[in-house]
Amino acid sequence: MIALPSIAFGGFSGSAKGVTARQVGGRSVLSLKCFPTGAATGAQLARRASLKKISKSWKALSSEQMREWDRLAEHASGASSLGQKAEISGLNLYIRLNSYRVMAGESMMADAPAAEVAVPNVSYSQVVVTPELVVFGGIKHESAPLKFVVKMSVSQSAGVSNGWSKTVIITPGMEDDWGEADVTRLYLKTIGVEPVPGEKVFIETYWLDTATGFTGLECRDTVVVTGESPYQRRVKATMDNLDPTEESHVSSLDVDFSTGAPVAQFNAQCLGHSNVASSEVYLDQQLPAEVVGTGMAIGRSNDDDGHINAQSYLVYMYNRNGKSQLTFAHRGGPYYTKTEVFGTGIIY
Amino acid sequence: MFNSISNNFGAPQIQFKDYQAPNYVVLNAKVTFDPTNAAYQACDQLEITVPDLTIDRSTIGGVFVRFIETQSYSWGDAIYDGGTVLKSWIKNKNTIIVEKQPWFDQNGPLTLYFVTMYAQLNQGANAIKGTKQRLTVTTEGNYLRFSSDTFVVVFDHWVFMHLQFSSCSYAQRDLPWEATFEQMPANVTADVPVPGGGNQFHQNCFGMGECHIENKIFTMDRRVMGFWDTGREPFAFAFLVREGEEPAPEPVEE
Repeated sequence: MIALPSIAFGGFSGSAKGVTARQVGGRSVLSLKCFPTGAATGAQLARRASLKKISKSWKALSSEQMREWDRLAEHASGASSLGQKAEISGLNLYIRLNSYRVMAGESMMADAPAAEVAVPNVSYSQVVVTPELVVFGGIKHESAPLKFVVKMSVSQSAGVSNGWSKTVIITPGMEDDWGEADVTRLYLKTIGVEPVPGEKVFIETYWLDTATGFTGLECRDTVVVTGESPYQRRVKATMDNLDPTEESHVSSLDVDFSTGAPVAQFNAQCLGHSNVASSEVYLDQQLPAEVVGTGMAIGRSNDDDGHINAQSYLVYMYNRNGKSQLTFAHRGGPYYTKTEVFGTGIIY
Repeated sequence: MFNSISNNFGAPQIQFKDYQAPNYVVLNAKVTFDPTNAAYQACDQLEITVPDLTIDRSTIGGVFVRFIETQSYSWGDAIYDGGTVLKSWIKNKNTIIVEKQPWFDQNGPLTLYFVTMYAQLNQGANAIKGTKQRLTVTTEGNYLRFSSDTFVVVFDHWVFMHLQFSSCSYAQRDLPWEATFEQMPANVTADVPVPGGGNQFHQNCFGMGECHIENKIFTMDRRVMGFWDTGREPFAFAFLVREGEEPAPEPVEE
């Protein structure tokens, strides 16, 4: 036991044997030094190293830059505690905002943002967690530089009501994909095990302004894992869907049929092959019957010789032997093998 | 129909014909601007401010850009117009973006053709297939012919059209063309870019002409020198807005 003078007198500050007392905004705060329990993950080690680096970089700032951070900190607020709005120092604000920026893959900023930025709160209509699928749907889209941050826990007993300390960052900042954030792979990569049906997952989400490092309020949610879900993934053809046993002639592919309109969205970097004016793509699954047919899209040459001419392409889409094939067949304009096919294209 | 509010590349006000559904927008417009102007040179992408659209963002569509080039020789004028297609998207309810490329900055003035569909994704339903109708093209003496990939897909408020030129009678090669497009609705009026055709002075982009569609009649007066060069395949790719109601068919006398 460490003998401490009464904090009622105030003005006490300093550290002794792992206990730190400090004055924050007129409040006396005692805290025990925290030590990580268990082995640190690679991500934790990287984050700790990053925080250390950010802290050290403060000393490299000019006096004017430090004053600007102090000025911004006077208007920014820290986490509230015991009903009192905590104040935050310029140094701590510098570390907080830069740690968020670094987490999102941005560089550190030496100059303080001009003012605190109001970041919106997360709004989504559903979150589905099954052993095969972890996805947020109906996200109210926010434009760049805002990015969607997701923290989730390993699935726990459905009787656990407070598992927030178990959440870890699943994605440090992603853009929603037309209102959808499929974090299945990221969840499995980070957590390491599939969610267990009947158990509960704790979820925290917020928007991060990657330009300034400010964040919106954290939205907390829980969901009980189900064995399967009626959630329907959008019908798309991407590089992830390529049949590895077949040779495809594209270096990128993203054909999206979820328009609800008489067009599909075509994006493919065609490479051509075998002196025929087309590029073939083989998918490992069948396309739904309602989208099987023919599309027509625009293209633009982008070869190494500097051709930039417009072309038109028929896109034949059909199923065979449980798989599907897309053929980007040149029609209008001078043909060059390396062509980017893009844009909305009619289907019939 | 609506007018643009402003733009950041020194173009005049742009008048758009439009069809706006809750989940997609079809826009038609044609605007010419001078790429040497200071506003264009200062911008990173072309931005057009417009009144509220029905959608607040879109995927990418194609907008065509074209320059005019005529060279005079002792035997007459030769046409070397060119251009290509640019990426365009709706950034928010009030902003249309067109990518800026430096390719033709020395060839101005430049004309942008919006014959474009802007769609959205994750709309809760798959794409809906239309019905292809091969275009029956009628000319006097059948002098102008198109390939089998010349067709329209007709909807109540707009039409998709793809033309692919095939051949022309030699005597008509240098004359203005006029043809009737049987399946084209009469309430489509548009200037449509025609990419393709050879262009010996611009072999990165090749040729680009322009045709006009009105009351089912196709006309095309100005064509690049190498229009019929082998492997240059002139074509048109356009989403076209239908205006008002379709004219009632002529009464048939008993």
